[in-house]
Amino acid sequence: MDPTRGDVAVTGLGLVTPGGVGVEASWRAVCGGRSTAALDDTLAGNPVRLSCRVPGFDAEALLGARRAYRLDPFVHFALVAAREALADAGLDPRTWDGARVGVVLGSGDGGARTWEQQHDVLRERGAEKVSPLLLPMQLPNMLAGQTAIEFGARGPNLVVTTACASGTTAIGTARDLLAAGRCDVVLAGGSEAMITPLLMAGFAQMGALSRREDGDGFVAGEGAGILVLERLADARARRARVRARLVGYGASADAHHMTQPDPRGTGIEAAMRAALTDADAAPADVGHINAHGTSTPWNDRVEAAALSRVMPGGPLTTSTKGVTGHLLGAAGAVEAVFCVLTVEQSLVPPTANLHNLDPEVDVKVADVLTETPVELALSNSCGFGGQNASLVIAAA
Amino acid sequence: MSQQFEQLKDILVKNLKVAPELIISEATWQDLEMDSLAMVELSLMLEQELGVGIADEELLELATIGDLVGLLEQRTAAV
Repeated sequence: MDPTRGDVAVTGLGLVTPGGVGVEASWRAVCGGRSTAALDDTLAGNPVRLSCRVPGFDAEALLGARRAYRLDPFVHFALVAAREALADAGLDPRTWDGARVGVVLGSGDGGARTWEQQHDVLRERGAEKVSPLLLPMQLPNMLAGQTAIEFGARGPNLVVTTACASGTTAIGTARDLLAAGRCDVVLAGGSEAMITPLLMAGFAQMGALSRREDGDGFVAGEGAGILVLERLADARARRARVRARLVGYGASADAHHMTQPDPRGTGIEAAMRAALTDADAAPADVGHINAHGTSTPWNDRVEAAALSRVMPGGPLTTSTKGVTGHLLGAAGAVEAVFCVLTVEQSLVPPTANLHNLDPEVDVKVADVLTETPVELALSNSCGFGGQNASLVIAAA
Repeated sequence: MSQQFEQLKDILVKNLKVAPELIISEATWQDLEMDSLAMVELSLMLEQELGVGIADEELLELATIGDLVGLLEQRTAAV
């Protein structure tokens, strides 16, 4: 196989995050380093009531009232982010060869809000009143299916789910599809809308959610991140603006415990090393790390120790979750977009809300917005179930 | 317009988010972008809001909104 076939260009970006609707608003918020966490009225009866919501997201205005009504929020976010990414890439779905356009998106849960609302209908009013839209609204695969319908993308189409690594896994899988020549363009990324009373109660009962203190857990966020990926040669041939290159992907499983990472950190270490090998890069080449950095003691200690082993005295490291909260299955996609912006603009965003760094975490945490050239950025994601994925993103 | 037309329009606009300007007597289900899933929803809502039982298969066979209004007039008169 042609060795340059694996060179993938990032030609379009789209974001819907708690920092705002759109790449510009989200990036400004992340660079500003202020947490978006706030008390959430929809969680009034829950033990933990903090969340990071997307501000000013009006699905009816953005998608039309009837279309919005028939879709769960996890699809709303993705359609809006995908539209931005396609416009950014200069691709017009009215004129493209849709059969060569794939969609690979990640989601941890699917349509949680729809599921919970219809479960209430079942209990309160009976099975015969349950909406016929329940399944088509909540099935996780509808994320990619609805994206295909919206834009006429008729190539390979799938949703991957590796919990909080889903977005990263999706982007890596998309890169493999391009390298194998199965399509020419992929809309890759992730979307999540899991801030519901039931799921947040579940996270709280696990002890995963932050109640107040540093490093005591995460704050759940919602939103989507979408990247337009093409083989580098194709992107150059159509004179597209190449914003960055996706040069490496590595994945692994801990095979250890249903939620806790393997304390030895061999899983995330293997994913990072595989991604660097795939990128044909040395650890010293990496100029910035967007860590998984969930602020749970388990994750941060294990990830930090693995980072120190792979990249001793390593580069400036950020957890953008300090600003956005943890977007779960969308997190890796949103963070990949931030890595593209970092290598493009030579800006390393700060880690917000970190006042008491765990003494066992020995990495160079970026605490202020730092202007510095970054040739290679590495983004980590780890999911419940022990699923790990790493991406290496290079300056164009 | 009849009371039944106004009641139906209310359900289509408020519950199913159909654009109000599309709802005219001559409109077909296709004009309103109403598929077979939407027929099941509408059947449930007619029962709940108006107390009129019309199965989704029966709804699908009606050519226009005007035909449904006619059927609603018949069934509500018969009650």
